[in-house]
Amino acid sequence: MKMKKWVSLLLTGCMLAVCLAGCAKEEQPGNSGSQGENNGDTPAVSLKVGLCCGTSSIDDKSFIQSAWEGLQKAQADMGVEIGYLQSSDDSTTATLEAVADLVDAGYQMIVMPGFSFQQAAYDAQSLYPEVMFVTIDTAPWNSGDDTYTIAENTVAIDYDAEQGGFLAGFGSALEVKEGEFGGLFGVETDHTKLFITGFKQGVIYANENYNTNIRLNADNFVWSGTYSDAALGQQIAAQMYENGTNLIYAAAGSTSLGAFNEAKSRAENGEKVWVVGCDSDQYADGLLSDGKSSVTMTTTMKQVGNSAYYVIEEYLKGQYPGGQYLVLNVSTGALSCPEVNPNFSSETQALVDEMTEKIASGDYVVSKEMVDVSAWN
Amino acid sequence: MGKKLNISRFRPLLVSVLSILFGFAAGSLLLLASGVDPMECYLYLFRGGISTTTRIFNTLANAIPLIFTGLSITFAYKTGLFNIGATGQMMIAGLASVITALSLPAPRVILLPAVVLSGLLAGVLWGGFQGFLKSRFNVNEVVSGIMMNWIAHWMVYYIVSDAFQSATMVTESRTIPDEASLRASWLYQLTGSSSFNYGFFLALAAVVVIHFILKHTVTGYHMKAVGLSPEAAEYGGIHVKKNTILSMAIAGALAGLAGVSYYCGYSSSIRIGVQPSQGFDGIAVALLGNLSPVGVIFAAAFFAVLQAGKGYMNAMVHVAPEIADTILSIIIYFAAISKLVDLYFDRFFAWLHGRKKRTDAVKGAEQE
Repeated sequence: MKMKKWVSLLLTGCMLAVCLAGCAKEEQPGNSGSQGENNGDTPAVSLKVGLCCGTSSIDDKSFIQSAWEGLQKAQADMGVEIGYLQSSDDSTTATLEAVADLVDAGYQMIVMPGFSFQQAAYDAQSLYPEVMFVTIDTAPWNSGDDTYTIAENTVAIDYDAEQGGFLAGFGSALEVKEGEFGGLFGVETDHTKLFITGFKQGVIYANENYNTNIRLNADNFVWSGTYSDAALGQQIAAQMYENGTNLIYAAAGSTSLGAFNEAKSRAENGEKVWVVGCDSDQYADGLLSDGKSSVTMTTTMKQVGNSAYYVIEEYLKGQYPGGQYLVLNVSTGALSCPEVNPNFSSETQALVDEMTEKIASGDYVVSKEMVDVSAWN
Repeated sequence: MGKKLNISRFRPLLVSVLSILFGFAAGSLLLLASGVDPMECYLYLFRGGISTTTRIFNTLANAIPLIFTGLSITFAYKTGLFNIGATGQMMIAGLASVITALSLPAPRVILLPAVVLSGLLAGVLWGGFQGFLKSRFNVNEVVSGIMMNWIAHWMVYYIVSDAFQSATMVTESRTIPDEASLRASWLYQLTGSSSFNYGFFLALAAVVVIHFILKHTVTGYHMKAVGLSPEAAEYGGIHVKKNTILSMAIAGALAGLAGVSYYCGYSSSIRIGVQPSQGFDGIAVALLGNLSPVGVIFAAAFFAVLQAGKGYMNAMVHVAPEIADTILSIIIYFAAISKLVDLYFDRFFAWLHGRKKRTDAVKGAEQE
């Protein structure tokens, strides 16, 4: 009998606790949700911008991090509210659930960086016509019939990646002057191909106009097929360096890290080898054990954050570019070499800056077509 | 004696509820430490899971694979086996069903059952092989399970990227046709465009079937006997090896259905390089459900509420998403050690009982 009492007492206690908790909530209904962290001096604007991430989050040192930093900058400069949400996996269903959460929480603009969100963006733009979507590196694709549609509420952002590749190839050729360049890439996509053709054109431009003598061999531009196999990357890089390559353009996500490791261990032994990084400044990834010199010649930077920032800015000006496919490039500041390249001499840096101006103003046009390098073998 | 029986009927439920409360309490401390109101967070957590029709059905859709894996682990446990290979069984079944969905040109009435059956069969073979390894070579099913998870992982990786890769998304297979999906347009409309699908009814049916096998069939009785004591079962004339293979095959079938419902219901393609979390979560679901088929339904539903509500909580309250995951893990942790809670429960009552005896004795002495 007594035990029964104890049990019922325990259950009553639990119920009471739950009830009280419920009541406590009801006393302060106005306090829910939005806790915007506006900086005191900037005017608060009523725009909530959410970043949707998948399995890689805002600390990936690369793509997503760059996007998040753009949002943070927008928060500081324009006083918009920001937040991010990680979907439980990269699947379209889970991403759509995350988008629903952001929409229900009152976010008016949702940034979706990366090609893995293309289907989710396609579904979301028609599910929530009142919400703005910004896709980066991709447009909303419907994999069912393999077409893309950019609705009025969506902005798709893409890049003239060949311009970034050109600057890096040009600068590296000027700096190395004599030798052979190669490349290590991930999965064969149109995006990466643009980087590669730009890089090759930059090298050829330096050869033709600045008396550098850099050899290019088509066999030395390798698709590893993966973005996450550093061991494979190292293996490929080792083979290339062994065959006399001096510099490898590594644009293969984590696979690139293998090339960095190989270059570092060779540089420690006195070899003159270099790597060119991709997306966010990878100078630190190439630092040797002395902590001063780096094997990273330069990086083809893609300013994902600036792109998101740009869209927010346009919206606040009342010029939201809905329904548009924006292709950003050097002139919009979306593609560049890092501002500081410790491995560039001041002459090289000046020439790269000059070239940046030329491309930005349209005086020089980098082709999107793949180039034949057999003449420079 | 009658009274004690009454309590013990409620005890499993009490233990599970206590585990959950402990989990929330520990999570509260963490939330307080990060400067947010735990009650507010939890309110949003549950609102995110069950506030609208769409959200309720999305939660149920999240629960489907968990019911299957929870059931798979429960069933294996009842027969003395620990099925840690549910992840791999899910993946291989998902692969089989996606391949069927992509390659079989047939109308829905034929295609959909074929998709389900191919996944089920793949699960049976994958799980059954682990059972075979155990009975034939005495390989512990935990070891073979973990290894075969990775074999499944890389099989999916190579087969999908070689033959079934999507044109635009290189990290996943092509999207399966609508005719092969467990989703249906009438369900989609009825449930407020949620991802709810036929898998739910399959899951409920599986619960009934497993409950029936364990409680009311001779085979079930044999398998349970092997689970309780293989030596005694052998002595009693039960074929231990055969039953080990059979029960791993059934556990594999259940995990296989989890894979079918996940890849061809919740999702519509299979991703390479990613292992579904439902395999391991199923262990916690099984434990929280007190290793009973019916309990698994409620435990899976609870997990799904947390899973589905987590994002909403994150979006509403400015708390790092990682904290929400940590709270979930704490709850899972307490659920996983619910057997420990059970133990302390015992001691608590033993202590109470002892005290009662003492007071009775004192009373008795006084009366004398």
